[in-house]
Amino acid sequence: MHRKRCQPPFAEPTLASQGSGGKWWLAPFSPVVGLAILFVAADPSPAADDDFFESRIRPLLVARCQSCHSTATGKTSGGLALDSQQGWASGGDSGAAIVPGDSEGSLLLRAVKHGDGVSAMPPEDSGPPLTPSEIDDLATWISSGAVDPRVLEARIGGMAREAAESWWSFSPPSAAMPPDVSEPSLVNNDIDRFIVAALQTRGLPSAALADRRTLLRRATLDLTGLPPTPAEIRDFLEDTAADAWERVVDRLLASPAYGERWGRHWLDVARYADTAGDGADYPVREAGSYRDWVIRAFNADMPYDAFLARQIAGDILAREAQPSDYADLVTATGFLAVGKRYGYAPNSDFQHLDFADCIDSLGRSVLGLSLGCARCHDHKYDPVTASDYYALYGILQSTTWAFPGGEEQKRPANFPGLVPPEEAARLDREKAEALAILDRELTERAREKMALEGRSFAGGVDLDLEAQEIGTGPNAKPWLSAGPNAVLGEAQSPWQHVHPAGTRGVRVGTGQPNEGVRHTFDDRLTAIAGAPLHVCFDFRTIPSAAADQPTGACRFYIGRGVIESTAIDLSATQREFALRDGDGWRVVTPLEPGRWYHVSVTLDHAAKTGSGSITPFPEAGQSPEPISFADVKLPASWDGVIDTFICDGLGALGGPATIRDIDNVGRQAAPLPLPGAPPAVKPLPPADASERLALVGKEVEALAARRKAIADSPAYPVAYGVSEGTPTDARIQGRGEPDKPGAEVQRRFLEILGGDRLADPAAGSGRRDLAAWLTRRENPLTARVMVNRIWQWHFGRGLVATTSDFGVRGEAPSHPELLDWLAVHFMDSGWKVKDLHRLIMHSHTYRQSAEGATAAVAADPDNLWLARWPRRALDAETLRDTILSTSGLLDRSSPPPHPFPAVDTWAFTIHQPFHGPHDHYESDRRSVYLMMQRNRRHPFLALFDGADPNQSVAVRDATITPTQSLFLMNSPLVHRAGTAFAERILAAASDRDSRLRTAATLAWGREPDADELAGMDDFLARVMSETPGTPERDAWGALARVILTANPFLFVD
Amino acid sequence: MTQHRDPLTAAAISRRAWLDSIGRGLASTALLGLLAESSSAAAALDPLAPHPPHFPATADRVIFLYSTGGVSHVDTFDFKPQLFADHGKSITASRWLNKPGAFERFLIKPRWGFKPYGRSGTRVSDLFPAIGGVIDDLCILNAMHCDSDGHDKGTLAAHTGSAQFARPSHGAWVSYGLGTENENLPSFVVVAPAAPYAGAQTWGSDFLPGCHQGTHVCPSAEPLPNLKSLASQPAIQRLELDLLARINSAHLHKRDGDGALAARLRSFQTAFGMQREAPEVFDFSGETEETLRLYGLERGATQGFGWQCLVARRLAERGVRFVELIDVGSSNNWDSHGNMADHEKLARAIDQPIAGLITDLKRRGMLERTLVVWTSEFGRTSFHQTADHPGREHHNLVFSSWMAGGGIKGGLVHGKSDEHGILPVDGAVHTHDLHATMLAALGVDHERLTFRHAGRDYRLTDVAGRVVREILRTTPG
Repeated sequence: MHRKRCQPPFAEPTLASQGSGGKWWLAPFSPVVGLAILFVAADPSPAADDDFFESRIRPLLVARCQSCHSTATGKTSGGLALDSQQGWASGGDSGAAIVPGDSEGSLLLRAVKHGDGVSAMPPEDSGPPLTPSEIDDLATWISSGAVDPRVLEARIGGMAREAAESWWSFSPPSAAMPPDVSEPSLVNNDIDRFIVAALQTRGLPSAALADRRTLLRRATLDLTGLPPTPAEIRDFLEDTAADAWERVVDRLLASPAYGERWGRHWLDVARYADTAGDGADYPVREAGSYRDWVIRAFNADMPYDAFLARQIAGDILAREAQPSDYADLVTATGFLAVGKRYGYAPNSDFQHLDFADCIDSLGRSVLGLSLGCARCHDHKYDPVTASDYYALYGILQSTTWAFPGGEEQKRPANFPGLVPPEEAARLDREKAEALAILDRELTERAREKMALEGRSFAGGVDLDLEAQEIGTGPNAKPWLSAGPNAVLGEAQSPWQHVHPAGTRGVRVGTGQPNEGVRHTFDDRLTAIAGAPLHVCFDFRTIPSAAADQPTGACRFYIGRGVIESTAIDLSATQREFALRDGDGWRVVTPLEPGRWYHVSVTLDHAAKTGSGSITPFPEAGQSPEPISFADVKLPASWDGVIDTFICDGLGALGGPATIRDIDNVGRQAAPLPLPGAPPAVKPLPPADASERLALVGKEVEALAARRKAIADSPAYPVAYGVSEGTPTDARIQGRGEPDKPGAEVQRRFLEILGGDRLADPAAGSGRRDLAAWLTRRENPLTARVMVNRIWQWHFGRGLVATTSDFGVRGEAPSHPELLDWLAVHFMDSGWKVKDLHRLIMHSHTYRQSAEGATAAVAADPDNLWLARWPRRALDAETLRDTILSTSGLLDRSSPPPHPFPAVDTWAFTIHQPFHGPHDHYESDRRSVYLMMQRNRRHPFLALFDGADPNQSVAVRDATITPTQSLFLMNSPLVHRAGTAFAERILAAASDRDSRLRTAATLAWGREPDADELAGMDDFLARVMSETPGTPERDAWGALARVILTANPFLFVD
Repeated sequence: MTQHRDPLTAAAISRRAWLDSIGRGLASTALLGLLAESSSAAAALDPLAPHPPHFPATADRVIFLYSTGGVSHVDTFDFKPQLFADHGKSITASRWLNKPGAFERFLIKPRWGFKPYGRSGTRVSDLFPAIGGVIDDLCILNAMHCDSDGHDKGTLAAHTGSAQFARPSHGAWVSYGLGTENENLPSFVVVAPAAPYAGAQTWGSDFLPGCHQGTHVCPSAEPLPNLKSLASQPAIQRLELDLLARINSAHLHKRDGDGALAARLRSFQTAFGMQREAPEVFDFSGETEETLRLYGLERGATQGFGWQCLVARRLAERGVRFVELIDVGSSNNWDSHGNMADHEKLARAIDQPIAGLITDLKRRGMLERTLVVWTSEFGRTSFHQTADHPGREHHNLVFSSWMAGGGIKGGLVHGKSDEHGILPVDGAVHTHDLHATMLAALGVDHERLTFRHAGRDYRLTDVAGRVVREILRTTPG
């Protein structure tokens, strides 16, 4: 899309006519999708203007501005570049620097003139201010249109469009013919042709084949992360068949240990951890299922395109899959969810950071692109724009994310179910029914209990207000009081038709709006269809002098929990009674301060309507005269349960609530007696009440335990993954801050790779399209990036050394033709990872000795051209697993879930974060199963350069440090393993020589040489002579430690 | 393997090349028992070997003191007479609990009086009388500010320059840039009884090589793991190391002096040195009663901030490049929302130890070359919802830190907040500026200390940072 355009010298800036109209160059971001800037210098401007620019302006900008404001040098203070026309036109953080034709309105001129509201430029420490004549020149130049020939070519993000389109990694790979090589002995398959040809070009000799023991140890550690057994070594040495090696590779690929090793490689890239990583670092019980899925997928040789698609859109693919695959598909989306989290609650203010992690990880892991760099502005180097970033962001925003728990909301939420939706609904229903049955039984027991206690009406005798202490708020359960409240004799209601005559009520003071009193009923009263529920209470407002009359209203709340599900809200100012009717308040009657009222409400859950009456306490000799109300619209959200009564200050009117007395709260399924009915009498409990009470108490205990067990166990297993949300496009965020929204961007994929839009944006988040786009053959990056990773995991270095960066700042491929050939082969063979292993491991290149020719070592010390096997140290997991395996301590059983604290105890905050003391989670299982805590890394894995789970890790930067050696010398693990290994050696043979040979074979995969044998012999002798009395077992334990920490053990030839 | 760059010149060094140079240097000497001597070839390319700085340094090392939770500036180092005078008056605050807006709030005077100290006459509150006694060595920064008023983000920003994403700690950057002077001790040591907010990320190396991560010393009888030999007799361990060296040397000889093999061989010797030397750091038996008193320390104590400060001096003496002391963890700290009276006991716990550290460093002639920095993640509001509220909320728009020694002008107050300690008025210093200034004292240009990661050159100061030249005795660079 190259466009050439004439730039009229004295017109409105031509760029302003682009885009959605208006002065887009004033906006920090371009709504022109993907094309940041599209102009190439064309027709020359009048010579006079050019001359003026060249003679007066360009030198001035270079001398006084560009040292801090230049794209070319990479220093753009305040986001402003002054070394191109686009630089000043799009401007910096404060907007366009120059408005052509309007020198007074140009920030640049105001800055050099030290005007108000802008930073004076150049800054004081960069020399004197501009001279008046320099300022005049700038003003002249701007006033006459700011002609600037320094126009950049069309760009996408940080790259010229043309250069981006021809960048090697953005063109689809094409398989060149493997070159002919003259030495057939060096060529076992086509990989060798590319490698040997490159070596021969450089005059580097290939190394000889490694011996069989070395090869077997190399391949076994490489594919399984465990050492070969003596039997496996013997078998391979004795196998004279031509395909012995190929069968070894097949055997190793078929081992379940393969998935544990290669799954771990992917988990590095997927930034896997068992905790969420925000300040409180909540544990994630379900993360391990994703880990296990990855291991299974590698073992099953799942094609990489399917492997990716499931991790990005498994939940969507699951809808059309076999029911038996449903759980696995949803679990796979853990790849998205398992990143570092920032939020304190679902959809928190920090969710843009969760998304930043996700986009960055997705870009690096799958595409080898640092997409995260386009969050705050277009990518500085690669052809990725902020629009690209927010197009993908929209996809994540349209997705519902499992929330692991956090500072504000301490319980997990939105975890997708591992059963299809219909099944989930059925299981949810079943669980709800089971709970409802138990609730009914509990309710019956509660009623029975109340009957036995003589409280069997209207929710109990006065709801136990009678049992409260006079003088303070009703603080004894089931009441709760906050604010200036007190139980008082004078607050006793005169009404007696519901509850028997009592001795006290509660006076609720003005207090703060959310202060008041709360009563929680013993049982949950649940509406049954056709049978309304009945609630009543008595109250009066306390008169005050007109001047002090509180202006606000109190509220009477009736419903489930603390405002969890409102049945009805009623309200009283000092002189007016109202109730909530639909969205508004309905005034029912004026109130006479000081007079008692009885309120009786009937609530119909099915119809979501209420009715009832309020009755003033009559003067002596008068009959009560109820004031009725009906057709009150109840909240649609009411779930039909009533177990809570609250009176607080949040009534119909704001301001301080009236002081009021409350008494005689009642609630029951049967209709309540009406005012005028005879006084209630407290029934006498039966004679055997105490025995029956004890029995009922036990039954209640058992039922409650069953209820808790059912309520606590999920109706079906869930995944730490994602599900579909509401499809929505995102806005560009200025500097990556959500409170600086820019233009909206439609969800789509990277401009440089086609910019494909979603097939049907309204149909879903777009993750399914994203998965398809990533894994389609035309995507030039996906296959290349993965074959390169696999190469790196075999050889320690990728053909592209920067395995997660195929952009312009990454390294160029050492063997571009081989990389492309492998990528094409990989796709052609159905994205089969195990096929790729076979191809690589069958090659001569893989089977070379680590001892290269001296000339090759000298000429290529980094072994870039692979004239020998690249020897390397065991990585963290392999080291630990191999120590455990060699000493016989390794536990190969499948891991149980991590013993995290029970979810109902979770109260982690940034002040008291989840802190899994590592020894609580230790086991002798393979290291891939260790509990990986984000904010407190496993001490062993951290020490030996394990992957930092806070980000996608492409390459483990191995270090060799003394603190590691201290671990190898003095750690309890090495000592425990040494002791166990010694016992294994001692049990294996009875003579010293055989024992030493067995030990070396187990640990190093080979027999010890003569010098090593002599050294070990000498060691045992010296231990005996220099530390007399040392038991033989200890001497062998010490020797075992040396064998387990010597370089023949720590390194793979 | 990735390409390694010389941190200060950005010149590419092949990892293999430097490892090989170690190998070639050592393979021939391995059997001659010269392993304990570091070969010069190895030293030149070892990631922890000392590197010369960009320009002459005024400090060789840093002791970074961190008080967790947000220390109120107006109650400690930022004396605001007008705040005393205007106590109870209402103001309109532009932010409250991390939300912008216009909030009517009430000014609250500090609970502690302020007294002038030293020749400079700088006023310090009664929370820190002992620090007042060394005020002429300190440069108070009264217009510090940072980007976040959340604990974990603020803590991360103070340590890594990034409030959001995992980045290397300042100590890791300094270790990467300058290496260390004592191979028997880690280059970056964090002495903390409990992790601050954001946990071990505060001392992580992140994308820098793992050898630069902070080694966490937990005040206790066994402060560092794996230091004690578990062998039944010391002689056995010596024999083990001899056999290890014999096997490894022969193995190395057959493998053309592979650098990594040689490096591991050598690292056991270093580890053995560490096993010997590191416990000496924590053994105070050679310290006089008078010195212990200076730090407010009982003999035999193995914890408390006095213990931490004395460990810091002993680490600094031994050439450790970056020592960080954290006084308290993420709970029961300076986060006095409920009651500012909590500041009292926290201040008492660090006042004498810090003053003792400054005094001790000075009399030993070490303060000249040791940069001491004290900060917290942010300050606290000088106002609240009611005039009688006993607590204070987070305040990141202005707060106080200080620096001392290592080329910093003493007896100076740099930066000024407004009359009520709410916004900076003059001499504002951002977290990035503090980091840039720390590096400048170490002779390092913060814009040139970079590491290439994921296609970008990263810095401790991100894309910002200004060296606060006004407080340096000499102009760097």
